[in-house]
Formats: sequence, C-alpha cells, structure tokens
Amino acid sequence: MSVVHRIRLPVGAAPMVEVGHRVEPAEVLATRRPAGPGETLPVSVRLQCSPDEAAEHLRVLPGSTLDAGTVLARRGDREVRVGHACLFLAYDRDDGTALIAPLLGSEPIVGHVRGEVTEVDPDGIEIRVGGALVSGVGGSGNAVHGQLRVVVHEPAEELRAGAIDVSATGRILVGGSRASAETLTRARAMGVAGIVLGGVLDKELRDFEATQRRRRQVGGPDASFAVLLVEGFGKVGLDPALFAWFRANDGKLASLFGDSARLYVYDADPPPARRALPRPGDRVIAHRRPFAGMTGELVRVLDGSHAAPSGVAARAGLVRFDDGLTAIVALANLEATEPAPSG
Amino acid sequence: MSTEIDTELAVLLDVGSAWAKASIIGRVRGRWRLVTHVAQPTAWGAAELRTAILERMTRAVDPRLAGRLPDLLASANRIECHTARRPGRLAVVAVSRELSGSAARRAAEAAGWQIVEHVTLDDGRSLADRLARLQAVETDAWLVAGGFDGVRSPRAMEAAALVASARRRGGAPVVWAGSDVLAEDVRDLFEPDTVGTVANPRPDARRDDAAPLRDHLQRLLRSVVAREDETHLSAIAMPRAVGVLAAGSGLRVLAVDIGARTGISALAEPDGQVVSRIHGGGGLSGLGAVPGAASRVSRLAGDAGDEAAVADLLQTLRARPASLPLTVEELSATHVAARVQLAALLEDASLGPLDLVIGAGATISCAPTPAQSARILVEGVRPLGVTQLAIDPAALLGPLGSLPDDEIGEGTALLAEDLLVPLGTSVVCRGGDPGRVAMRITVHRPGWPPIAPIELRTGQLQVVPLGRGQEAELTIEPGDGVSLGATRRSPRIQARATGGAVGLILDARGVPIVLPKRGDDRRAVQAGWRDTLGREGPPGVERVA
Repeated sequence: MSVVHRIRLPVGAAPMVEVGHRVEPAEVLATRRPAGPGETLPVSVRLQCSPDEAAEHLRVLPGSTLDAGTVLARRGDREVRVGHACLFLAYDRDDGTALIAPLLGSEPIVGHVRGEVTEVDPDGIEIRVGGALVSGVGGSGNAVHGQLRVVVHEPAEELRAGAIDVSATGRILVGGSRASAETLTRARAMGVAGIVLGGVLDKELRDFEATQRRRRQVGGPDASFAVLLVEGFGKVGLDPALFAWFRANDGKLASLFGDSARLYVYDADPPPARRALPRPGDRVIAHRRPFAGMTGELVRVLDGSHAAPSGVAARAGLVRFDDGLTAIVALANLEATEPAPSG
Repeated sequence: MSTEIDTELAVLLDVGSAWAKASIIGRVRGRWRLVTHVAQPTAWGAAELRTAILERMTRAVDPRLAGRLPDLLASANRIECHTARRPGRLAVVAVSRELSGSAARRAAEAAGWQIVEHVTLDDGRSLADRLARLQAVETDAWLVAGGFDGVRSPRAMEAAALVASARRRGGAPVVWAGSDVLAEDVRDLFEPDTVGTVANPRPDARRDDAAPLRDHLQRLLRSVVAREDETHLSAIAMPRAVGVLAAGSGLRVLAVDIGARTGISALAEPDGQVVSRIHGGGGLSGLGAVPGAASRVSRLAGDAGDEAAVADLLQTLRARPASLPLTVEELSATHVAARVQLAALLEDASLGPLDLVIGAGATISCAPTPAQSARILVEGVRPLGVTQLAIDPAALLGPLGSLPDDEIGEGTALLAEDLLVPLGTSVVCRGGDPGRVAMRITVHRPGWPPIAPIELRTGQLQVVPLGRGQEAELTIEPGDGVSLGATRRSPRIQARATGGAVGLILDARGVPIVLPKRGDDRRAVQAGWRDTLGREGPPGVERVA
C-alpha cells in the first residue's frame, strides 16, 4: 500500500532531493533561509540628504531579496549597501531609514516521511510513502516521526499522565478515549513525539495549545509535538478494530502530521477501512452524542424516517452495540467499519 | 381494467458540501406539484439518492405508474445547483488589526473567501514570524490593505512589501485595497498585471465602506475558483430565484441559508435587484474556529450544556458536517450556532424594513418544528417591523435559480403552492423601558371573535394563533421610545399579517436581544421564550412569555 504525501515548500526554499531519491523521515529534503528580526538601516544620513530626497535615490523596490553588498541607494558617489543578504521591506520617509530583514543561516526542512520522491517543484516535494494511512478528524502540532507505542489497555481507556515515562521519549503514543491538558503537557515535557487519541475535549486541546504558545513566546524550547484525533471531539474511544490494528503495529515507525490529521505507519497492512452508508449486518461505529465512539452491528435499516429524541427525523437503523445496548441511530451518524485486509 | 396514464417529472437537485437534497416535481392533474423530497449526506452518492427517490415515489405516486418509475426518472429533466467544489483561500495582510485589517477581513469573508492567513503589523508577532507564515501559506489570492486615502503611509507600503517578499513570482493575484495614492507604488512591487486596485474600505478614520472591495473580491472569487458554469453555483442560483420572487410579488425579500461550510444571504428589492453575500466561514462548521464562540453559544442557548460540551459540538460540526444532532442539547446548540452565524452574516448589512424573510438550508428549513425554524429566523435576523416568515424545506430555490433567466419566473410560478412553507408573521420592535408597555396590538381576524388589544411589555414574546391561509389586520401602537424600524407619522401603525405554521409572533425583546446576566434568570427567560414559541396552544388562545 502506498500513498502520495506532499510537502509544501516555503517561498525561497531550495530542494536538496531529486525524483527517484529514497528518503528517510529524518532526512533533509530542502533548506531555507528564514528572515531574522527586522533592522533599520540609515539611508538619508549616509546619502547626506533629506529623507524625502533619499527616497528618490533608492535602487531597489520594497519586497526585494538582496544579496550581501547590494546597493540599496545611491546619490552621486555616496551609496548605501546592505551588509548581508536580506529582504528590503520598507523605507520610512519620516526618518530616512530602510527596514530590512536579514536572511539567517540555512535551516533544514525535514520531510518526516519515508518513501520515494516522485516530484520536485518550487512549490513542494511529493513522496510516495510505502505505508498505511490513518486519517483523523482533527489534530494539532507539527510533523513528527517515531516508533508507535500503544500505552492503554482498552480502546476506551483514558490516557493518564502517569502512563507516560521516559521510555516514551521520541515515540508516538496511542492512547484511548481522551487525554487531559495535563497529560499532553507531561507528554511533551517527556519528549514524546506525538499522541494518537480517539477523542479529546476541544477545550483541553486549546488550553494545551495556548500553553505551548505562551511557552514559545517566552523563549522556551520549540520541540516538535503533534496530536491526532481519530474519532471525534469529547471523550470518544477508538474503534476496537482500529485499536487492535495499532496493537499489531506496535513498535513500527510512523509519521504524524497533526495539522493535517494524518498518520503514516510504515511496513503495515492497511488499517480497517471506513465506509459511509452502512448496510444491515455491517460492523458500525457511531458518531456524536449519545453514542459517540460506540461500535456494534447494524441489525436493520428502518423504513421511512425515524425521529431522534431531538426531534430530527432521518433515515435510521437499529444498532446492537457491543456493550449490549440496542438503539436506533440516524444512518448519517454511522460509518461501516470494514476489517483490515489480512496481510 | 386499468387505464393507461402518463406524467412528466423533473428532478430539482441541490448538492451541498455535506448534504444533497433532491425534489421530484411532477404534473398532477395538469399542475406541477412537489411529489417527494429526499435529503441525504452527499457522501452517500448519486446511486443511493436515486434508490431513495424511487422508494419514496413508489409510495407517493399513482400505483399505475409504479412499474415505469425508473424510466420516468431517467428521462426526467434535471435542474441542479451545487456548492462550489472548494473554497477560495485568501491571505490578508493589513496595517492595523482594528481598522484596515478588520475591514478587509470582513469584506473578504462577506465575499465568500476563506481566510487562510491574516497578518497585521500590530498583531504582536515578530517580523520574522510574519514572513515565515506568509512564505508558507497556500493561497488563491492576496489582499493588502492599509493607510488612509491621500496619505503615503510607510506602514501600508511595508504591508505590501511583506506580500511582495513572501509571494512566489507568477503566483496568486494581489488586491490592493489601501491608500489610493500608493496604488501605483504597490503595483510596481509586483510583475505586470498582478495587482488589482480597489477603493479603500477605510478611506479615513470615520468612514467604512467595504462594498466596492466586497464586490471586487466576489468577482475575483468566481474567476479564480469557480470556473464552472456559475449559474449552477448555489451562491449565485439562490439569490437569482429570490430576485425573481421579489419582483413577482412586489415584496422586499431577504433569504438566508446557513449551510455546512458557507452562509448565504440575498436581499431582493421589489424591482428584482438583489444584493447577495456569501460568507466563506459562515456555515455551521466555521464557528469552531471563532474564539469565544463556544461560550457565546452555551450562554445564548441556555439548555445546550456547558461551554466545554458546546466546544466539542462546534468542532464536531466541522469534522463531521453531515452528521445529525440526536440529543435535545446538541440540537439546541446547533440552532443557536445557526443564529449566531446568521447574525454575523447580516452584521454589516443595512436591512431596512423587510416584507418577507425566507430561511433555507437544512438547519433552518428542516428544523424538527416550525417554531424552531421561526426562532432561528427571528432571533438571527431580528427583522424590525412586520415581516412574513417562510422556509424552503424542499430546497427548491437553488435549483430554480439555476434555470435560464427567462425560465426562473415560470418555475417559481408553477411551483407557487409548494415552493415556500409560511411560518407566519413577526412583529419585532426595539427600544422602550424594561417592564413598560412596548406595543399595544389589536388583531382583527375575519371570522374570529374579537379579542382585547394585546399589551406587550419590553422583553416579552407572545404568539397569537394565525393559521396558514389566514390573514389579520393589525393596529400597532408603539410605546414611548419604541420603534418598528420605519419612520411613522401616526401614533398607530396599520399592517396586514398572514398566518402560517407558527402564527403571529409579537416580539418586544429588542434589537439585539438583551439577556439577564444571572445564569438562572437567563435560563428561566430563555425557557419561557422557548415554550411560548413551541407550545401548541388551543385555537384563539395567546401564548405569552
């Protein structure tokens, strides 16, 4: 099984791979020179004229990228050169200074995926990833990679802070139905690369993100960390079949992209598939309250429409959930879960 | 001996980003009528939709046609509109968050763009961070704003230079909506034909006129993203149908649709002129990204659970837009989310007096009860004065609006009986002192025993039964400091109300509605309003809260 993963390159990045190149997750695919803090450069003083007049002697337009030594302004035999490569952003006619952003040293752009490069263009690099893809409904954080490690015993078990110790450093942990902001904070502090959960309370995820933002603002270490939600928001357990698949792939290398809610697991068979519109006899997983994350079997589809307690009438089916509960659930809130193809 | 019969069918299809709605109309005894309506998640596909239509039709049509239904359906005329395949992505760069940035953002959202990055020079980020964000953004267009007209603002030039340094050469087009005297300088920063210039939405500190920018961005959105036949886009089709309705009825009509991804409003004048808006993040899924939205929805609903539960719901609306609210709490939060988005959609619109407000989209028009639909419209739009309320439960307006110009009127006339479901009439006022009489209303219903004038106090809501097809003459005497929107020369206002599934809604809760600060008081008041609107009263008995 393979999927194509695209890594978008920021403007100005220089690719370092070619089509056909095989890459590893930690490999540098491109480099870029980020802009540093803005600096002002006196222009009118050096040209010995008024700020307004100096504006007429600028040799480059705002927005230009300048190499070290480029002439920014020239008046007769007087000139202003930039000392280092930079972006010229503005000229202030009030004080006769130029705003520039120096370009810092090269920074690597790491792909975080393993695979073969299939396309390279100025916008991005496409890589064919040989692995299984798990798509989630939400996530947070940057791209990370590490070994998968299942740290809960049941798909509906909450991931507790106490379950995270030093052995989790650099791993992508698979939790269960929820992780509190405290657990996420501890995970990050312990050097965990990422966490995969059935669900998380949106408020706790936002609280955690706010903590991380504040941490960055005060100059804290900017270690990568990502979270992937597979089923939904709130306390929602993982589908048992998917949980079993994670257990079967415990220890394998994986790449997690929090912002785009994607997880690649290498050398793994495809995970259990999902299908909209389940049929009678299908294994199903329910979404939204009051059945969020519950799995069972769709016994039959009811004729006509059925009104839920909310009063919303829709096509519905009778579901026998694994915990013994039988309930009528709108088909729009059910997905069929299909067993993973045996390898 | 069975008699051979025949009919003609047409399929009116509205394919949204989350749900697809199909209505079958057929010629019944010489007239075109709605035969059946099916709605399902778009992801279920066309084959399932066809199966569902056939199942419904088998139950609905003359049994003699049953065996021929597949053929009839296959040969039926298909009239379709759909949501744009993907939203247009826009990066906004402006000088100040409160002035140029806010005006630019509002105009862009009102034009239907999805803002993927919003940078202002006072946003608290470092210059390096701003550049990094802009260099990494994937966008279909750039919008730069800043500086008052006539002023050569260096900060505005800096905003433009940020874009020039972050944008890929030959990349997305740039819109300059800043100081007019800088337009040429800004154009020079980019390659030829890259920059489109539009009137400054903040020409000075006092004026705010985003209309030219909004119109420009609407056109740009169509040229950049919606390359398909635009008359089939819901955002274009629905307003066209509303314009024809307004022209045909001589009414001033506002139609609103809160979808999964976008919100649409169309304000049509009696001469058929329409001003429409598409709010890119104005659908139900957009609220999850708005700071403080969960708290607001939780507070406004009163019965939707705490802020954390509502926050999860708002994210669920984004993550699983085709799923349905099964619990009372989730439905309540969803309806309030629709009201909040509706209010945001109309925030900058000067609506003036409206004759008719139409609710479209499943959340409004397919609410479990007509009272819930009416509540979303009355509390989301707050239509001052006397206004008819109706819904489009079969989602017919969009497909009809996708017909050629000369056929829209014919289509709406043919389906006049099934097009809209009237909810009744609302009388909304603002102003007045708490506890004092806001309006004194005399309702004359032909054929009903006369009732005493109704005195409605500020903050009260009352419903008077008035069924579909019934009319009433209203004499309204506003109290001191109370307004129904239009200027008046007489202390009494005469108006006509038409009935519907809810009746005559008398609403003195003000604009905007003010809620008690204390949680218990607020919940009690909200429960009263809910009961008033939702209760099935015996005929002739008024409900008041």
